[in-house]
Amino acid sequence: MIDERHEELAALHALDLLEGEELAAFETALAADPDLRRLVASLRNSAADLAFTAPAVPPPSAALRARILNSAVPHPGSNHGQILPFPTLPAWLGWASAACFFFAAFFFAAKSFNVRGELQSILEAERVARLEAGTFKNLLEAERILSRGQLDRLASADRLINDLRIQADIARLKIASLKSLAGNSPEARAIAVWNPDRQEGVLVVSQLPALAPDKDYQLWVIDPQYPIPVDGGVFTVDATTGEARVNFKPGKTVDVAQVFAVSLERKGGVPKAEGPMMLISN
Amino acid sequence: MLTLNLTALDPVESVAPPRGREVARALREHRMSGDSPMTAADDSEADRRAIDARLLASAAQGDQAALGELYDRWGRPLHALACNILRDTTEAEDVLHDAFVTLWQKAPDFDATRGHAFSWAATLVRNRAIDRLRSRQRRSELLDQANPADLGYDETNTPADGGDTTWLKEKASAVRRALTALPADQRDALQLAYFGGLTQQEIAQKLTQPLGTVKARIRRGLLKLRDVLAAQL
Repeated sequence: MIDERHEELAALHALDLLEGEELAAFETALAADPDLRRLVASLRNSAADLAFTAPAVPPPSAALRARILNSAVPHPGSNHGQILPFPTLPAWLGWASAACFFFAAFFFAAKSFNVRGELQSILEAERVARLEAGTFKNLLEAERILSRGQLDRLASADRLINDLRIQADIARLKIASLKSLAGNSPEARAIAVWNPDRQEGVLVVSQLPALAPDKDYQLWVIDPQYPIPVDGGVFTVDATTGEARVNFKPGKTVDVAQVFAVSLERKGGVPKAEGPMMLISN
Repeated sequence: MLTLNLTALDPVESVAPPRGREVARALREHRMSGDSPMTAADDSEADRRAIDARLLASAAQGDQAALGELYDRWGRPLHALACNILRDTTEAEDVLHDAFVTLWQKAPDFDATRGHAFSWAATLVRNRAIDRLRSRQRRSELLDQANPADLGYDETNTPADGGDTTWLKEKASAVRRALTALPADQRDALQLAYFGGLTQQEIAQKLTQPLGTVKARIRRGLLKLRDVLAAQL
C-alpha cells in the first residue's frame, strides 16, 4: 500500500519536479519498492500523454527526418549498421586510380630522394660548422690562457720590483743598537733606525732611568763631515718603564749616520753635548 | 479488433528484433488486409505501444529504418510539444533532432518497466525544450510567460489534417476529454508543471497557492488523469 505522501512524491517525480535531497531520498525509496516503481511508471505515461494536448502546429519540415537519420551514426558493433548505397563505379576508374597512385608514388619518391640529398648536405655543412666553431673556441681559450699568463707575469714583475725596492730601501737603512756607556745605565737598551733618503729615523728605548724634572734625554747623530754631533732632538721616557719611541729628524743633512748617542742634558736640550753620555751605538 | 500478429515479434522467441521495415510492413499489411475492416486508427493503445517498443528495440540494434518509423509515428506530437514549450518552430525542430539522436544512442538503455517508449521520448523532448527555454530566459520571464490558459489544452485547436493523423486526433481527443474531467485547479497545476518548465515553488507562486496545496493538486490531478485515460483508451 502506497501512502499519500509517496503518491505525491511519485506524481512530482513523474513530472520531474523533484530536486536535490528530496529527489535522492525518493529514488532510494523507489529502488526498494516495486509497487512504487509501477506507480511512477504509470504516472509518467499519463504525464507524457499531456503532450497530445499541445495546440496543433504545422508538421516539422520534411528535411528534419533526413537530418535525424543522417545524424544517427550506427552503433558500434551493430550488425544493423547504416548501409550506405555505393554507386557502381566504371571499370576504368580502378586503372585510373592505380595510374594516379603510381605517378603519385613516383613523384613522392623523387621528392623524397631530393629532400634526402638536401638533408645530407645540410648535415655535412652543420658538421663542418661545428668543427670550425670548436677550433675557434680552442683558439679563444688559448688566447685567454696566454693573456692570463702574461698578466700574471706582469703582476709578478710588479711585485718583484716592489720587493726589490723594499729590499733596496731596507739595505739603505741604518740600523743601530745602542747600549749603556761606562755603566751609566747598565740595563738600558735602544735601537735606532735611520733612513738616509728621507733624512729621518726612529729611536726606541727601554729601561732608561727616569728623568729629573729639569732634565731631558737628547739624541745625537755623529756624521764625520761635521766637527760636532748633529742634534737629533730631546725626548723623555716613561717614569716607570723607562721606555720611549721617538721619531727624529735632524736639523742638518746627514750623509753618513755613523754613530747614534743619547746624553742626559738640561731641560730643552743643548746645541752641543754637555751631560753624561747614557747610550751609544757601535 | 486488431489482427496484427505480434506473436512473431516476441523478443523471447526471436533471436534478434525484426528490422523497422519489417515491423512497419506488418503494420501496413494489417491495415490493408481485407480480412480486417480495421484501420490504423483502430489500433488499441496497447498495440501501438507494443509496436513502439518493438521499433525501439530494433533501433537499439542499429536499425535506422526503425528510427525512421518511430519518427513517423511520434514526430508530430513531439514537435507540437516542443513548440508549445518553446513557442518557436525552428528551435522546436532542433530539439526534436537532438532528442531523436539521443533516443537512437540511448535506445539500448531503454527500460520498459519505467514507462512506455513514447513516454520516454516525450520526456527527452520536454526536458530538452525546458533546458533551452531556461537558457534563453530569466526566471521572471518564465513566470510571466507561463499561463495555464496558454499552455496545452485548447478546445478550439486540433491537430492538423493530412497523413496518418487519425490516431493522433483520437488520442488527442481522448487526453483532452480526460483533462476536461479534472477540476480546473488540478488541470492548471498539471499544465504549468508539464509545459511551463517551472519548479514546484514557482508553480505555487504563479497560482498564488501554498506549496502543499499545489503538490496535492498535482497528485490528485495526475492520478485522476491516469484513471480516466485508462478507462477511455
